[in-house]
Amino acid sequence: MPAIFTVDPSSGVPIYLQVIEQVKRAVVLGALAPGEQLPTVKALAVELTVNPNTVARAYRDLEREAIIETSPGRGSFVRTGGTVHDALEALDAVVLRGLTDAVREAKSLGLDRPALEALVRKALDRWYSTNHQKEES
Amino acid sequence: MNPAIAIDHLTKRYGDVAAVDDVTLAVPRGSVCGLLGPNGSGKTTTFKCLLGFARPNGGSIAIDGKPLEPQTFERLVYVPERPALYESMSVAQHLELQRRSYKHYDAARAAELIARFGLDQRKRVERLSKGQHTALALVLAFSIRPELFVLDEPASGLDPIFQRVVLDLIIEAAAGGATVLFSSHQIGQVERAADRVAILLRGRLVLDDDVDDLRAGEKVVEAIFEHAIPSLDGLGSDVRIRRTERSGRMLRVYVHAESAAVAARIEQLGAKSVTTRDVGLEEIFMNVVAADRPTNLGVE
Repeated sequence: MPAIFTVDPSSGVPIYLQVIEQVKRAVVLGALAPGEQLPTVKALAVELTVNPNTVARAYRDLEREAIIETSPGRGSFVRTGGTVHDALEALDAVVLRGLTDAVREAKSLGLDRPALEALVRKALDRWYSTNHQKEES
Repeated sequence: MNPAIAIDHLTKRYGDVAAVDDVTLAVPRGSVCGLLGPNGSGKTTTFKCLLGFARPNGGSIAIDGKPLEPQTFERLVYVPERPALYESMSVAQHLELQRRSYKHYDAARAAELIARFGLDQRKRVERLSKGQHTALALVLAFSIRPELFVLDEPASGLDPIFQRVVLDLIIEAAAGGATVLFSSHQIGQVERAADRVAILLRGRLVLDDDVDDLRAGEKVVEAIFEHAIPSLDGLGSDVRIRRTERSGRMLRVYVHAESAAVAARIEQLGAKSVTTRDVGLEEIFMNVVAADRPTNLGVE
């Protein structure tokens, strides 16, 4: 299995949360298809050079969130049915967290709502207009 | 289930000095525990008591629920910071000695580890560098496939590439179900390899936690005030706060739980801006050490 996951232990985010986010991202982007097998806990721990219990914890949480399913003796698999939608929803939370941080930062820098809205529009235009044109052409 | 290692109210005094002062620490089976602490904080003494090389003044040690006995060392391996090897013997002779001494010796694993560390089997120990010395001790330890590893600064003297090999070895051992207790000055290693972290300061255990839980709870709340920082009014006794720092109109509060509630409290003090960010293990460690210093100027 190619290395589709990476973690950055020195970032403040706990490693198990990074693993969870990476798996969700891989599912949303199609790097992991529904029904596809994930690396075993041991294999992923060795590959990422992180503690196996940390990976096991991430897998347990992913199971609880119905992103993956584990059958004893066979391994962990991306859940079939509704998976991408669930993972997307989960990623929404990640994006919202980033946006909330940005809003808080803006407010603390003294920006008022219209000023921030203008900035958000600017950022959106930068990333979405080109994609939009591509879709149309 | 009994923990693999149970240290219970351990005290070891040298003269008037308590090198280890009432330390209680349990390492569950299958766990990797990273022991951090400045030099002289009692890490090595704890290991010596744990292995029966020093007689504690108080407290007890249990391995898999039982006191130390000769058979313990069939499944436990200890690598001291300065491993004792035979100067005039070659690397190959050390491997041979290991093969004869341990029934679980794995020759294939030993050969693989020798290759990973790039050791020359014909070389005598006296001709090895400090790093190679450490590497050989680790090869010997990991080739007998023990259930329990106690490693005192296993990566000291190694270059970054071989430090990574040590990290890989610890993780592979854990993936195979072994339990590891290791001390380190390299917080990054503990962050990756360990699921539990313990911090010793002046002989006392000041922190013992699950790494992920710890990192999920620890935050730093930074606040900027328009004018001078007001009286912090009871914030000093807030149990969620590790310590505070102030410089000019900037207040920095290190929190170990419920950072949102603490941030809200600081906002009520009239802060112009309040931001919360995550902290890594290194910063957590530094905070714990700083909070312990008698010179620390906390909140009033």
